[in-house]
Amino acid sequence: MKNAIIIRYCEIHLKGKNRGFFEKLLKENIIKSLKGIQHNFTQMHSRYLIEDFLDEDYDIIIEKLKKIAGIHTVSKAIVVPNDFDDIFTACKELCAYKKGTFKVQTNRADKTFTPDSMQTSMLIGGKLLETYPNNLKVDVKNPEFTIWIDIREDKKTFIYTDVINCMSGMPVGSSGKGLLLLSGGIDSPVAGYMMCKRGMKLNCLHFHSYPYTNEAAKEKVIDLAKKIAEYNGGINLYVVSFTKIQEEIHKNCPEEFMITLMRRFMMRIAERLANQQHDQTIITGESLGQVASQTIESITSSNSVVTLPVLRPLIAFDKIDIINISRKIDTYETSILPYEDCCTVFLPKFPAIKPNLEKVIKAESRLNVEKLIDDAFLNVEKYVF
Amino acid sequence: MIYLDNSATTKPSISAINKASIFNTKHYFNPSTLYHEGLNCAKEIKNAKEAILNSLKTTSHEVIFTSSGTESDNMAVFCAVKRGVFVTSLGEHSAIYKSFLELKNRKLEVYFIDLEKDGSVNTDKLYELALNTKIDFLSLVHVNNETGAKNDVTKIAKRIKSINPSTIIHCDGVQAYGKIPFRLPQEIDLYSISAHKINGLKGTGALIKRKGLNISPLIFGGGQENGLRSGTENLFGIKVFEYALNEKFNNIENTYTLVKDTKEYFINNLDKSIFTIISGENSSPYILSVSAKGIRGEVLMHAIEKEGVIVGNGSACSSKNRYSRVIQACGYDNDVLDGVIRISFCTPLTNEEREKAVNVINEQANNLKGIML
Repeated sequence: MKNAIIIRYCEIHLKGKNRGFFEKLLKENIIKSLKGIQHNFTQMHSRYLIEDFLDEDYDIIIEKLKKIAGIHTVSKAIVVPNDFDDIFTACKELCAYKKGTFKVQTNRADKTFTPDSMQTSMLIGGKLLETYPNNLKVDVKNPEFTIWIDIREDKKTFIYTDVINCMSGMPVGSSGKGLLLLSGGIDSPVAGYMMCKRGMKLNCLHFHSYPYTNEAAKEKVIDLAKKIAEYNGGINLYVVSFTKIQEEIHKNCPEEFMITLMRRFMMRIAERLANQQHDQTIITGESLGQVASQTIESITSSNSVVTLPVLRPLIAFDKIDIINISRKIDTYETSILPYEDCCTVFLPKFPAIKPNLEKVIKAESRLNVEKLIDDAFLNVEKYVF
Repeated sequence: MIYLDNSATTKPSISAINKASIFNTKHYFNPSTLYHEGLNCAKEIKNAKEAILNSLKTTSHEVIFTSSGTESDNMAVFCAVKRGVFVTSLGEHSAIYKSFLELKNRKLEVYFIDLEKDGSVNTDKLYELALNTKIDFLSLVHVNNETGAKNDVTKIAKRIKSINPSTIIHCDGVQAYGKIPFRLPQEIDLYSISAHKINGLKGTGALIKRKGLNISPLIFGGGQENGLRSGTENLFGIKVFEYALNEKFNNIENTYTLVKDTKEYFINNLDKSIFTIISGENSSPYILSVSAKGIRGEVLMHAIEKEGVIVGNGSACSSKNRYSRVIQACGYDNDVLDGVIRISFCTPLTNEEREKAVNVINEQANNLKGIML
């Protein structure tokens, strides 16, 4: 009798001829994530198996698997030979500290095994009731827990009671590469997570405005990037100084367009960086109408300076839903650290909520856009996590 | 680098650390043990306590070592008086201010006395309250950490005790100790100090308690510090504290005068068209709080930092806690509150240092003024 972790994937089932590609990628991602932890990895039909790990590593393995896109559920199972007595002994052990209603569900791929699935369930259930008459009660319709018995063709039987939901989605790396604009707020890490979940490999770009923002603000973004890296299988974070551009806009352009023009610069810089490293898209955490810079007019204005597709996975999300995801992925507490507000030094009292594109372009014509962007690229900091 | 944020912390004394290092390497024994080496360590702690009491020129108090000024403040607030009327000022360090908010949460009667424009407590209002209400516990900061405002704690304590001898009086001396020449009067029942503000190490503080005053512990355990503060004593930190304070007190009067000179140089040479001086005339020479008109304090601090001068910021850029609570309580409006930086000293600066520092501060403020206004 030994322990194993069963890993099941979801959408990959739907793939046809290129299914092998997705399976291989997910396998690589899992192996990379579990590097340094003692275990044995095997691929079975439509699932993976982790065996020979130390019991004390179980929790950490599960935590890591929960952060791998493409994994649907995992279960900790007891593995025994396809032998009725062994199966019962394992079930008995599994129920030693359980109390409540249960049912037994058997799946018999090994058709040479007797009795059949239904009978196995009944017999095991009956024997368990005899063993623990005070603690267990059968309820096949609405049990408090289910004992799954999976009798496989390769003469191994898996027995488990818990099915742990994981991230689902597609393996990271299966859907191309994108550049995430990471601000330090609540939304952008969530946007990054959502794209990881759909299999996109991310790089991150952050703008800082030292001395108008402080080092703590940058540290916070580094912490956030590290959190996203856990879902992304590592990450590159690029930090570009935005100070000069902000000062120039402030000096030369109407106050109301400050944010609009800043967003246009950010998009241009993002596109140039994305092209340099073959990122195929720019990802933002914009949510329609959340703030002045996220109205459809503002988005049109910032979108119009780039040709790469801009993906906005949160565009139709309410703030509360975004916050819920950020709590789930453990970025919320970092995001709400109060460091980001220094840029507010330049914030206009009344920003243009629906900026007119012609007026924006006219305001921008007072700046040497190309030169400012070239200068911004002179000091790009890169962090690899 | 010219470091002018000594109210936050000071550079530890290398000689004190070297001298005390024997307590990490050779005399590392637990002071609570009964064998010779352990007893010796206990004696060393006793010596450190005597040095602290001598420095405060008192024989009517005793010392309880703690982990910090904050712990000492908490112990004073929560362990000396259990019920009744608690009074403090609006010019306290957060260690006191937040503790008083907690008392309020626990439904105790709490008063915060207003400040004068210079940041010292409004004594008229304090005495008026004392005459009308029986105050059970009073806590006042000796020197405020943001403005440098000094309270004449000796005079206040004597007056309050004459009104009601049973009032327990605590004084947060963290920014005053080792800087302002001072004799701890017996009217002050409790006095908090911290090592790292006088070239000692972080993690070492003390609460000075009048002998005979009964207080309960904040931390329970093995019964160290007469049962008042359990936890194995930080012998190394305590010895560094002792040696650092000896160095400090050898020169306290002289340093006081020279630092006063340094501060006056700053006041006279900072650009008057930009800076408003917040620290009052009577404030501690070690702390100078100023406000730059139209420039956010934190931004100015970063700009100055880039040029190799480190000052403290009184107003953070975050929307939460944006303004200094204490300077707000002095009655300044938001324009002034926005631009606060704190320049704080430990030892007198050389002429070159003070010239460079003032030039950098003036230059950076002028640059930013051009951009931000």
